[in-house]
Amino acid sequence: MTASAVATLKTQRRPLYPGWFYAPAAVVYSVLFLAPTFASLYFSLTRWTLFDATFIGFDNFAQFFREPFLIQGLVNTVIYAVITSGLKVVIGMLLAVMLTSQIMARGYLRSVIFFPVLVSTIGVGMTFTVLMHPTMGMINQTLAMIGIKGPGWLVDPKLALFSVALVDVWKGVGLATVIYIAGLVAIPKDYYEAARIDGATKLQNFFYVTLPLSRPATATVITLSFIGGLRTFDLIWAMTKGGPGFASDTVASVIYKQYQAGFYGLSTAGNVVLFILIAVLVVPLTMVLNRKQGHE
Amino acid sequence: MAGLELKNIQKTYGQVEVIKGVNLKVEDGEFVVFVGPSGCGKSTLLRMIAGLEDITGGELYIGDKLCNDVEPRDRSIAMVFQSYALYPHMTVYDNVGFGLKLAKTPKDVRDQKIREAARILKMEHLLDRKPGQLSGGQRQRVAIGRAIVRQPEVFLFDEPLSNLDAALRVDTRMEIAKLHADLGATMIYVTHDQVEAMTLADKIVVLDAGVVQQVGSPIELYQRPANLFVAGFIGSPKMNFAPVKVDAIDADGVTVSGQDVINLRLPIRTSGVNVGDALTLGVRPHDLAIAASGTIIGRVTLTERLGNETIVNVELPSGASWLAVLAGDHILNRGESLSFHAETSKAVVFDKNGQSLVS
Amino acid sequence: MKTSRASLFGGFAAIAATFVVFVIPFLFIILMAFKDKQQSALRDFSWPNGFHLFENVYEVVKTRNWMMITAFINSTLITVISVTLLIVLAAMVGFVLARRKTRWNGLIEFLILAGLMIPPAVVPTIWLLQGLKLFGTLHGMILIQVAYNLPFSIILYRAFIATIPRELDEAAVIDGARPLDVFFRIILPLLWPVTVTNIVVQSVGIFNDFTNPLYYLPGNQNATVQLTLYNFQSQFSTAYNLLFTNILLITIPPLIVFMFFNRQIVAGMTAGAVKG
Repeated sequence: MTASAVATLKTQRRPLYPGWFYAPAAVVYSVLFLAPTFASLYFSLTRWTLFDATFIGFDNFAQFFREPFLIQGLVNTVIYAVITSGLKVVIGMLLAVMLTSQIMARGYLRSVIFFPVLVSTIGVGMTFTVLMHPTMGMINQTLAMIGIKGPGWLVDPKLALFSVALVDVWKGVGLATVIYIAGLVAIPKDYYEAARIDGATKLQNFFYVTLPLSRPATATVITLSFIGGLRTFDLIWAMTKGGPGFASDTVASVIYKQYQAGFYGLSTAGNVVLFILIAVLVVPLTMVLNRKQGHE
Repeated sequence: MAGLELKNIQKTYGQVEVIKGVNLKVEDGEFVVFVGPSGCGKSTLLRMIAGLEDITGGELYIGDKLCNDVEPRDRSIAMVFQSYALYPHMTVYDNVGFGLKLAKTPKDVRDQKIREAARILKMEHLLDRKPGQLSGGQRQRVAIGRAIVRQPEVFLFDEPLSNLDAALRVDTRMEIAKLHADLGATMIYVTHDQVEAMTLADKIVVLDAGVVQQVGSPIELYQRPANLFVAGFIGSPKMNFAPVKVDAIDADGVTVSGQDVINLRLPIRTSGVNVGDALTLGVRPHDLAIAASGTIIGRVTLTERLGNETIVNVELPSGASWLAVLAGDHILNRGESLSFHAETSKAVVFDKNGQSLVS
Repeated sequence: MKTSRASLFGGFAAIAATFVVFVIPFLFIILMAFKDKQQSALRDFSWPNGFHLFENVYEVVKTRNWMMITAFINSTLITVISVTLLIVLAAMVGFVLARRKTRWNGLIEFLILAGLMIPPAVVPTIWLLQGLKLFGTLHGMILIQVAYNLPFSIILYRAFIATIPRELDEAAVIDGARPLDVFFRIILPLLWPVTVTNIVVQSVGIFNDFTNPLYYLPGNQNATVQLTLYNFQSQFSTAYNLLFTNILLITIPPLIVFMFFNRQIVAGMTAGAVKG
């Protein structure tokens, strides 16, 4: 038997894990996601009518950073992402601690907290728009009954973005809670028993055992909700459409508005800005979150 | 039924050579055991025979067929895995019949074969269960059933007993031996446990660092190990070793002595041996006996009394630690000085390269 | 027994608080859907005067020439087909990715993470879909949903496949299985727990998706239920009973999913999410 005979036979053996298993996913993903993403880098530098693109260099970006309302959108996006992910981490963690303790009606509580995650964002947005109406809304009517004059949740420019962020937390905290519950359940009981033998109080237990050991869950919650916050569109669009004025505009809503107005190049530039914003904020964030758990 | 031949089989992962040219002939119907420490390449060799690993170099014949590049299913082999690898979502019946189903065997033939395999392994009552509902021993049985239903020419076993507890291991070992006797098929069996190797094998292949150290029947390996590695690996408790120097050579042997042994005459091959050569003496613990004027003297550091025999741990003058297995029960004190007689006809001597000098 | 009294109090407080925060908004939706136009205009938390749910449902469904019916069919088609494709494609990728270590793995994992983070470039996608004659079609929408949601499904699958012993694949190969047999007969059935998670998470996500249909499915003909709700908003601006009936109607499918899979969601989602 010669080496070449062996070599020709070798090609007949099929690999157990064939590379073509990637192919269908790769085609769909490349054509509908990667290709447009790369194309956006070019089209963001053009004045574009979908039929005809004129190269104009960085004019779109220059405009983006010249117009105050566009800059406002950028700032709003970051504020929104920080608030929603921060609140989801804190509230989700506390709810999870509560739901893993010996509290009654755990099943009810878990279901109730998780259910909004599954409901249509547009539906939630519209419902809360009605509930948050400054005069006719149930929230302010209830506050009025106990003598408090409720704020103009969605009509006050200073407040609108925060009101939407609160609704976002209301809808999304269930997911954070569930992720935390899994993280907490995975902490071996030994640590709590060791801490108890060392005489730790409940509070010390939380700060010295629960908090550090639920770090992977925290990393997941922060990363997911921060990215979600930066990309958010539907809730804002359903509740304020970026208003009043541009008070609650985010980059994503700006992208849509420019698209609607037919400024396709500018809209695509907005896309690139959002892409860069996410990369600049999320990549270092995940690196920090994952570095400190080096023991894993 | 078929034998098997490996011609200069090699395996490399990148730059790392795992199997360094193995030549081996397995006769039809033979029970061959690959044994060696973990990482010696025995499982890799088995997986190359199975077709789960590509062969980097050399030729593999199963029967008369060159099988280097034949798909596993066309090699007429079956394999029993260490973890059993039963399909968790299928019943025992479907586990055993999966290969037949893939081969598009008609349903009635399949059913008959599955039930026949179940009968041989006495597991008819388990057929409707899922693997999760079985004990370790039962899973092992199903794994074997899955192999025999294919009626392969060669059975491959990859450490099949290592997940069983000690008592079950002995039982299953005997059953595998019985299965071999009943089926008469060629079997290749990988283990790191030399007791399994000794009890099951017609032929043992000792591997270390990807090289075949010795091939032979269990008793050959026990009595005439080819080198220091085999001597140390086969036999339990392990063989004792001591460095010695050649004092004198005569027609049919040498006289050696060292720090731990005085004037021991050994009947060995003398060609190539010179006075003053440094050799290694090997004596099995069972070949030591207490004797008033023994040539080996040591102090007792530990005794294990098993009733029928006593294992003594002694410290020799050089500080080396030896084991002696004494028949019957002995009460020995720690620190007590003992002298032993070594059965020199069974002792082995190795040259400075570790190769046996026993003819 | 001191602790039990404290936890009893804590329990009641938790139930009361979650009731106000999480349950009342849903009760509000339901109550509004039962009211007539005049009463719903008050937008208060009151008991309906009379039973108007069925009229309201009828009214909503027949709006704009029975558009809700079309929308429900469209949403169902998009959801079912894209989730099916997602499961098969993602499991195939996860399988090979978890099993075969090559120098491409790093790149593939980078692309998966990129897909989780990068917002889709909307207008270039529309331009591309128009070129492919897929813009505004259900096919296009389905493929978009598959492309956008693949990374998450792959991550869920890959983490789980890593826990399935490789010896199972090998045993199947010895039994004569070809790669497709190994995948469809051994691996895919064993992935069922993650598949349930994937079905729940992705079907809810895709059914509730608003942004992508807004961009890629303009016009009434191929509207989804979320778009319908959005489009009816102006029409219902004075008829809150109809608006909330509409919200109630599109909340029913997720509710059904929730009732069937409540337990699995929590278990499966977390297994993948925390690891991934």
